[in-house]
Amino acid sequence: MNIIVCMKQVPDTAARIKIKGDGKGIETSGVSYVVNPYDEYAVEEALRLKEKAGGEVVVISLGPDRATEAIRTCLAMGADRGVHLKDPSFEDADPFVTAQLLAKALSGMDYDLILCGKQAVDDNACFVGPALAEGLGIPQATVITKLTLAEDAKSVTVEREVEGGREVLQLPLPALVTAQKGLNEPRYASLPGIMKAKKKEIKVMDAAAVGVSGDDVKQKIETVSLSPAPERTAGKIIPGEPSEAVKELVRLLKEEAKAL
Amino acid sequence: MAEKDERSFCKALFEGKIDEELVFPYPHLTGEDAENLHLIIDSVGKFCRDKVHGEAIDKEKRIPEEVIGGLSELGLMGMIIPEAYSGFALTQRAYCRVIEELSCFNASVAVTVGGHQSIGFKGLLLFGTEEQKQKYLPRLATGEWMAAFCLTEPGAGSDAQGLKATAVRKGDHYLLNGSKQWVTNGGLADFFTVFAQTEVDVKGEKKKRVTAFMVTKEMAGITIGPEEKKMGIRGSSTTPVIFENVKVPVENLLGEEGNGFKVAMEVLNSGRLGLASGCVGAARTMIETSVAHAKEREQFGRPIAEFEMIQEKIARMVVNTYAMESATYMTAGLADRGDVDFSLESAISKVFSTDRVWEVINDALQIMGGNGYMEEYPHERFMRDARINMIFEGTNEILRLFIALAGLQGPGEKLKEVAQAIKDPLHNFGQLADYAVRKITSLAGDRISRADSLLEDEYRRVEEYARQLPDAAEKVIRRYRKKIVEKEFLLERIAEMVSDLYVMTCVISRVTSAIQEKGVDAAETEIHICKTFCNFAWRRIRRNNRMIDRNDDKILVDIAKSTLEKAAYPV
Ligand SMILES: Cc1cc2nc3c(=O)[nH]c(=O)nc-3n(C[C@H](O)[C@H](O)[C@H](O)COP(=O)(O)OP(=O)(O)OC[C@H]3O[C@@H](n4cnc5c(N)ncnc54)[C@H](O)[C@@H]3O)c2cc1C
Repeated sequence: MNIIVCMKQVPDTAARIKIKGDGKGIETSGVSYVVNPYDEYAVEEALRLKEKAGGEVVVISLGPDRATEAIRTCLAMGADRGVHLKDPSFEDADPFVTAQLLAKALSGMDYDLILCGKQAVDDNACFVGPALAEGLGIPQATVITKLTLAEDAKSVTVEREVEGGREVLQLPLPALVTAQKGLNEPRYASLPGIMKAKKKEIKVMDAAAVGVSGDDVKQKIETVSLSPAPERTAGKIIPGEPSEAVKELVRLLKEEAKAL
Repeated sequence: MAEKDERSFCKALFEGKIDEELVFPYPHLTGEDAENLHLIIDSVGKFCRDKVHGEAIDKEKRIPEEVIGGLSELGLMGMIIPEAYSGFALTQRAYCRVIEELSCFNASVAVTVGGHQSIGFKGLLLFGTEEQKQKYLPRLATGEWMAAFCLTEPGAGSDAQGLKATAVRKGDHYLLNGSKQWVTNGGLADFFTVFAQTEVDVKGEKKKRVTAFMVTKEMAGITIGPEEKKMGIRGSSTTPVIFENVKVPVENLLGEEGNGFKVAMEVLNSGRLGLASGCVGAARTMIETSVAHAKEREQFGRPIAEFEMIQEKIARMVVNTYAMESATYMTAGLADRGDVDFSLESAISKVFSTDRVWEVINDALQIMGGNGYMEEYPHERFMRDARINMIFEGTNEILRLFIALAGLQGPGEKLKEVAQAIKDPLHNFGQLADYAVRKITSLAGDRISRADSLLEDEYRRVEEYARQLPDAAEKVIRRYRKKIVEKEFLLERIAEMVSDLYVMTCVISRVTSAIQEKGVDAAETEIHICKTFCNFAWRRIRRNNRMIDRNDDKILVDIAKSTLEKAAYPV
């Protein structure tokens, strides 16, 4: 089983995000970065499959220098090697370009299964996984919560939560799936894992190595503006006797909140 | 461990020397070590957020097995063990950072992990033979075995030399008897570092001397007493451990016979750094939680964060924490060098951090108001958990005596009997007093050249008071000679003076590095912290120095005496 996990390094979900002066990006200084949480499920599932069926887990990530650290984290969890797509011309890659670059890079590789997170928590685009499957021309299942490899290792059965129920799908390999929370409980990178990760290879591929140039990496989507979520306003405590307070609450729900 | 001619920053201060090379540049981890540490801290933090529930640990008075097991799986039980024995060979700095991270979440967990390796098996690591290490370290590294340190007895606390446990040689083994109390990890441990009196030949005479042994749970005759009911760190195990005719094979002697006190002191020297870093972790959590509350909580129509007395507390917490952190990690860096004596520096880091974290928690709790007093919030628990730090691994009083007396003996001493006495200045000071008088000579005064010029006011103060310390030291020794051991008021002042000098230097060094790395603008807050800390510190030093001559010591003693006489409130 050769398994590839596509991973993105994202700002820590606990980080306080500030928007840059031009309103089109975020202030990166002082922000700490982590492996996209959904990608952690993907890494964990890949490792479990490998533990059962053998093979190799390769983690691929497109990102600036700092993304090395996220790749290392995955190697410390147990992945075998890393591939880092890194080139100044990749810096503005939008989800579409990212998917195309990944497809290009992966087309020369040997894989049975590709795992992605269902979305990256920074831009919430939910785009790269499906677009990558399209680019590679392989079947896909998104937002899966369970994955089972067939005895003959020729297909996988996956479960997806759908409105009001559950869907079970079977996909012939090679295929791509995107991981949802609940798929598994990701392991923590351990000290032995971190020490071993030091010796694992991270192959860096620039534009030339991926085989792209100029227009291939030109973003198709332009960010017009970013704005912060509105500040949460203070709550309201309604004083007085319960019977009076309830009346007031109903009035407020009707008139101010317009919830009733 | 051989007697090395080791440099010591603080001992040199007593001679008026500022050994800059030891403290500049600030010893931040770099390169691969820093990258690895980052990954480790990420992982430990994540694990703790998911699995370590401080409130439940406190209520149930135990750490769930899943947590201990998880920590072992992460590799946290073998952090400081060399790779050759299945450990991970972390530096002291990295090790301390992990203890700090654990302490952000829960002190019981940090004390359990720290008790295991900061003191539990540290003696084996420092003094064990190759065979002994091969035999025990791999199991201790994986957490299959936990370790405990058994020094204290009901009759021997601060005066550990007075311990009563005995080990009598009978052919190929020793017969160990004795009762140890308040053993951290007592209920979990399979491996005990135990200190007992043995008879040794000293120049043809038979004398009682403390010797260290490694005792394992499977040896017959060990009884683990019931868990103590404690004020804090309730999830950690603290029990009596009783040894009755335990046959300890001669191979399990740790270090040389009669050398046990030295083993204990060396273990505690580095163990204390773990405690100090734990205080930094607790302080960080206190800052985070109280600041969040200050921004949310409104009184008089405004968030309380807008009131100056709240801001004062916030600033004070930050300054205290930064100073604790700077001293602790400077000292851990000194430990990592491997070629310096950091015993005073680690004692200072422990005393300073454990005192200051108490202030930080007090400030945080006050910001919380009534909520801080409630169990729903972590503050009262952190306060209970932190109180032990001033007591164990050497009370802050005993450590202040140690800091002053070891410093007064003069640095880098090589004479054999002096070297011996330095191990234990509290018992051996007398014979050294004459020597020390000769040692402290008149001084020109050293300069600091590597600090950033923006901090000139601050480092000039260090220079100024570094000149006054040897004067003060010489004065008290000339005045009191051997009796200085009894002059604890003065010793305490001297200890405070050298502590403040050291911590100031650590802060200045760290902020200098910050300015160099990030530039003045990005380092602005740190520059402010440095100025604030140093301003308080040099005034304290000046005051302590003046109070060597002008003080109310005698009056205080009188008040204490009349109270002692009445054994009650005397008025
Ligand atoms: C929770 C907990 C865990 C512990 N874990 C361990 C462990 O794992 N292993 C171990 O061996 N021990 C352990 N201890 C014991 C601890 O190290 C001792 O409590 C400590 O050394 C102090 O000894 P004592 O309690 O007997 O106090 P005492 O020595 O009786 O001191 C009482 C007070 O007198 C002061 N005092 C004593 N002598 C002087 C002096 N000459 N001048 C001025 N003041 C003085 C002390 O500072 C203190 O304030 C633990 C204790 C606790 C509470």
